[in-house]
Amino acid sequence: MSDQRRITSEDLTLFAMQLLSKEEAAEVAAHVEESTAARRELAEIQSDLAIYAHTVDMHSPPAQARERLVKQVAREKKVVPLERTPEATGRLGPLHAANGAANESYGNPRGLGSGAYLLEDEPPGKSAAAKVFPWIGWAVAAGLAVASGDLYHERDALRGTVMTQATQLDHLSADAAAARQVLDAMTDTTAMRVTLTQKGQAPAVPQGRATYVANKGTLIFTANNLEPLQPSKTYELWLIPAATGESPIPAGTFRPDERGNASIIMPPLPKGVEAKAFGVTVEDEGGATTPTMPIILAGT
Amino acid sequence: MYRETGLVSSQPPSGQDDAALLTLVRSGDEYAMASLFDRYSKVVYSVALRVLRDPASAEDVLQEIFMQIWRNPESFVATRGSLGGWLAVVSRNRSIDTLRRKRPMESVDDMPLASNYNLANEAERNSLMEKARGVIHLLPVEQRKTLEMAFFDGLTHSEIAEMTGDPLGTVKTRIRSALGSLRKAFTA
Repeated sequence: MSDQRRITSEDLTLFAMQLLSKEEAAEVAAHVEESTAARRELAEIQSDLAIYAHTVDMHSPPAQARERLVKQVAREKKVVPLERTPEATGRLGPLHAANGAANESYGNPRGLGSGAYLLEDEPPGKSAAAKVFPWIGWAVAAGLAVASGDLYHERDALRGTVMTQATQLDHLSADAAAARQVLDAMTDTTAMRVTLTQKGQAPAVPQGRATYVANKGTLIFTANNLEPLQPSKTYELWLIPAATGESPIPAGTFRPDERGNASIIMPPLPKGVEAKAFGVTVEDEGGATTPTMPIILAGT
Repeated sequence: MYRETGLVSSQPPSGQDDAALLTLVRSGDEYAMASLFDRYSKVVYSVALRVLRDPASAEDVLQEIFMQIWRNPESFVATRGSLGGWLAVVSRNRSIDTLRRKRPMESVDDMPLASNYNLANEAERNSLMEKARGVIHLLPVEQRKTLEMAFFDGLTHSEIAEMTGDPLGTVKTRIRSALGSLRKAFTA
């Protein structure tokens, strides 16, 4: 576009649709700024485009779009000076008139696309409230400083708590690992198990040792020198309750290894059952709910 | 919200005109903002969707435009004509900017609209849409297609000329004539 060229309606239309090059757009903008007629025509073109935009097929936005906007709006709540509030609904006319005058200049930087918050056009009020409001900012800043201090201390306290808990967790993990090792050793079928007897005595007889904590329901049972069983049979350990009339409670089945050793570690038992005795019977594979006589091992 | 702004709506925000809603928005009224969204989100989204052909991008444009109204309601003033019309044009421009991955041209968005259609009323809005579609449908195919390529596809007159094989002047004239027919129908 040369300097001499007349700006036509076609140029203004392309300018309105942002279809001109940067240089051409600047040339048209300069012309529009100087010419009232051009501004009027541009306004007409914008109006035409607005109508044309409405010929598009209508689609409702997704429901979450509204939710998204409402949330964002709530996040960006406005702080409105109270002195403006009473007149807010009544002064739309004057405000628009003022802005209308301002818009005669194309250098007005306050477009929707500016992405910036506007500064107020009006001079600051001289009311008592106006004198007080500047201090509100300081008060808010002071409040924020106090709140920040509190948050700092709270963060330190939380950091201390986390460190303490991390230490406790380390200890618990170490304890758990040790307990796991004990359990693994006791239940490992490849572990070496030796029953020591007085030298020169007769070969050892079948033996069992039960360690029981009634209030926790914890039972550890080990046995040795057990006779091997037929494949369809199993040994079963029984807890005989101390309370009169209560039936024996099955405490797990087991089969000895080739050397006659066996163990039961922490079978599921009810807590708080005092034991009068423990016994071992031979049952069919899978175990029984009541002991089958005879009792192979018994101890009180 | 009302506790903060000191405002109490005497009627539901949705029943108020655009100017009143904008005033409430200016005062920080979130319900008024939601009412404006309910009123114009469809046209803003539809225009953006037509240009961008991607629902997610169109939703982003929709969000951006309404958040800027919330942050800066003064960006629209009554001298710019109909809020609905202005939003439709801004939605198109924003979408074209997104398409071209360029910064918005603020100077164009600042331009006022000559006519002050009351698009706040749904019935009037629908009436305007039907009438505009009727006018566009009656345009010669070349004019209709050229305007569509320029407005909704954001193609420059040079690009359109290259694609159609028509001279540049013809492309400009077709765009201008199409809009002229639209104006004539609405001012008659």
